Amino acid sequence: MSNGLPSVPVSLPQARTAARPFSLTYANRLRLAGFLFVLPALLHFALFKFYPMAQALLLSFFRYDLTSSPEFTGLGNYRALYENPLFHQALGVSAKYTLGVAIPEWFLALGLALLLNRAMPGRGLIRLAYFLPIAMSQIVVALVWKFLYHPHGLVNGLLATVGIGRINWLSEEATALPALIAIGVWRGVPLFAVVYLAGLQAIPRDYYEAASMDGAGPWQRFRWITLPLLRPTMLFVMVMSLLMAMKVFTNPLVMTEGGPNGSTRVLPYFIYETGFAFFRMGEAAAASSILFGLALLFTLIQFRLLRRGLA
Amino acid sequence: MNAKTRSRVLGWVVTLLTVAGAAFVLLPYFWMVSSSFKTQDAIFRLPLEWMPREPRWQNYPSALGRFPFGVYFFNSTVMALAVMAGNLFFGSLAAYGLAKFRFPLRELCFRAMLSTLMLPLEILLVPTFLVVRQLGLLDSYGGLIVPLAVDAFGIFLMRQYITDLPDSLIEAARLDGCTEFGIYWRIVLPNCRPALAALAVLSFRENWDQFLWPLVIISKEALKTFPLGLAQFEGFHSASYHEMMAAAAVGMIPMILLFLLFQRAFVRGLTLTGLKE
Repeated sequence: MSNGLPSVPVSLPQARTAARPFSLTYANRLRLAGFLFVLPALLHFALFKFYPMAQALLLSFFRYDLTSSPEFTGLGNYRALYENPLFHQALGVSAKYTLGVAIPEWFLALGLALLLNRAMPGRGLIRLAYFLPIAMSQIVVALVWKFLYHPHGLVNGLLATVGIGRINWLSEEATALPALIAIGVWRGVPLFAVVYLAGLQAIPRDYYEAASMDGAGPWQRFRWITLPLLRPTMLFVMVMSLLMAMKVFTNPLVMTEGGPNGSTRVLPYFIYETGFAFFRMGEAAAASSILFGLALLFTLIQFRLLRRGLA
Repeated sequence: MNAKTRSRVLGWVVTLLTVAGAAFVLLPYFWMVSSSFKTQDAIFRLPLEWMPREPRWQNYPSALGRFPFGVYFFNSTVMALAVMAGNLFFGSLAAYGLAKFRFPLRELCFRAMLSTLMLPLEILLVPTFLVVRQLGLLDSYGGLIVPLAVDAFGIFLMRQYITDLPDSLIEAARLDGCTEFGIYWRIVLPNCRPALAALAVLSFRENWDQFLWPLVIISKEALKTFPLGLAQFEGFHSASYHEMMAAAAVGMIPMILLFLLFQRAFVRGLTLTGLKE
């Protein structure tokens, strides 16, 4: 402590009494340093998240086509959305897609994690096989599945071997959205299984051993040890799966262009189309604000559940 | 059959089902690679041809010759690496500040940043586009990279890890006269290598894959990314699926390599964020 460094706490009272304008106490210097570390990120968020968020809200009250100057319309854009049957359709499609993907994911991912957590020969390789789809690009997924769903593609080819006739998966209103949901589930289950698997591995093994000695069967051990201890993981999976499904865009764009008859036009695609194909930026911003509101609502509800779950 | 044999048989059945499930999950990729070596007539032939009769290697050069895929590949790599570097540096910097210092409004800062997890580009598409246009960054590498270079996920992941580093490590360096930035650079960073590796892999994966953002801000051929290139393949040559599959298979290579090399870091990254308080 005797090396006389200005930063040691010993110099604190002295520094506090000093009246020089640019000298800082030790504690304040640390505060400043901490703040400066955060500052670059904070500035970035201000410019690319908070300002755009405010901008989106503001823009949603204007009519704007990117070329002429914005014109105030009050709630005009929201009224236009309210009266636009395509927007209502998009809300419905997004809701169906989001729930249709997320809910099966919760159960299938947990099931898969339980399977992969068992001792079995070649477990590492089997896990790798399941996790490989996580590494795939969205665009590759979209192209490959478009090929699989082709009227003469693999899906119909396999169905033909069991005597089911040809289905035009992506060009029928009844099958297009379920076809996209299937892809979402196929992609999401391995991802969330990894998260569950880590949760399972964090549960101390002695809990199970103690329960077995007390005569608990496999179902009882699952019900009274695994499930309660996995609760934080489950809630994390719920939030992330819903948010991920809500922002789906690539598949509807590449595989169906929102069709047939808008049956796969999810909200993000609706926003993209309104803004960048029809150049109705104000209306797109209004739709964005609504989508953000929905995402926020979902997350707040789940944070509340999460807090209760942890208590 | 006694109870022990019965449970063993059951175990084998479950294992077999698990393996069958894995085959089912991988089937689309197998079909993609297999089709990429077939002739145009053979890809839709019934009964299904699991293996091409005679592999047509020329599908690959002819598919890649349709568009300047080398340029796209380069652009995607530059974008992914630059965004990754930004995420690693600014993410760990902010995370260190949030984890190991006290200053007014620190909690608010953290919550505000965390709340942007709900604000992906898909939701802020229109206003972010307008900001980038105001900055004059449309159709540029800057426009591809800068808006993505700091990310709440990275800050969150790094903060989880840095919080657990012992304070004594930092105090000791401070007593030795290390500057505050020096402590971050020489003590904190080397000690969170596993978290940095995890973030690097996840960030590279996600940004090599960016599609909507480049689609909206890039129109110059020379700046298009690989996903954009693949997508336009679909538009112009929708009949030639065998070539499309060849191009898609090439597009998969960086991801597969990354995954095989850094499987551990991948899994760690996915688990670091969700599980701890």
